[in-house]
Amino acid sequence: MHIPDGFLDLSISVIMFLVVIPFWIFSLRGMKKVLSDKQVPLMATLTAMFFAAQMMNYPIIGGTTAHLLGGPILAITLGPYAGLISMTIILFIQALLFGDGGITTFGANVWNMGVIGVFIPFLVFLLFMKIMRNEKGMLIGAFAGAFIGDVLAAIFAGLELGLSTLTFPYSVQIAVTAMGINHSIIGIGEGIVTTMILSILLRQRADLLQLPKMAPTWLPSISLDLKRD
Amino acid sequence: MVAFYIFGFKEGLKMIKNRRMIAIGIIVSIIFVIIGCVYLSLSQETLDKVAEEFGLSDSPLWAPPLPDYELPGLEGNIFANVAIGIVSTVLILAFTLAVGKALKARKEMV
Repeated sequence: MHIPDGFLDLSISVIMFLVVIPFWIFSLRGMKKVLSDKQVPLMATLTAMFFAAQMMNYPIIGGTTAHLLGGPILAITLGPYAGLISMTIILFIQALLFGDGGITTFGANVWNMGVIGVFIPFLVFLLFMKIMRNEKGMLIGAFAGAFIGDVLAAIFAGLELGLSTLTFPYSVQIAVTAMGINHSIIGIGEGIVTTMILSILLRQRADLLQLPKMAPTWLPSISLDLKRD
Repeated sequence: MVAFYIFGFKEGLKMIKNRRMIAIGIIVSIIFVIIGCVYLSLSQETLDKVAEEFGLSDSPLWAPPLPDYELPGLEGNIFANVAIGIVSTVLILAFTLAVGKALKARKEMV
């Protein structure tokens, strides 16, 4: 889903940069407040791991391939602020060293895979956790969050392409449909992997899931006192 | 053991735990890189397909040193690709550690 240079109109690219800047500022500020001794190495380890995981392309239908984005699990383990910064670092290195994603489209890519791909799964996950208040709720929330986040990120990518009338001479609807349909399958894959990782973490390293500490202050308080099934 | 002497028991234990976590992360990342380079290297993403269907072409502004995760002159060489993957994974780890530590240091200063 890394949009290269030349796919988007310059105006759309500039708008996407402007939209992302406040998220970077709030995330750096928010992250600074919750950063603990354990979280810095955890963040570095997970960022490196999901960069490496993005190198694995698995085949899906129609001769296309997909790879794990990692945004949902970064959001659940690190919180949305550090998750966004992690994704930004991954996307920056990918664009700079490997040409995977453009320089002018960096803002759009961060919006799609960083802001949407991290904040949406986090909010959906919290919603399920709040409603169900048990481990099953966490796992369903992780799956739903990963799926919705992935599909929404693809829809935004389609929207940005469709609105780039100088480079993409087709309608917004065509671009959104083309991106959204395939990514609904990729979203299922992201959801399954996210749920699997979360399930392992809950059993092996539940201490890494410090959600109450990492949640944005504007959200209602979150409790991790889960009812055991 | 040296960490216990230099930083005391509690800090030393924390450092050893952190190093263990980083070491496990690097090992898992190396496995991902090897699988990605050897078995799952073929990439044809949805966006590539959409671009192909609608005649979109990219116009890069920047010539990356390692285009498509390959070393120029050694394209298709699995060993070179794995080496690039591992080096860049470690680079990302170091970069993120530096960002995190810088933010933490600023937090402690305030």
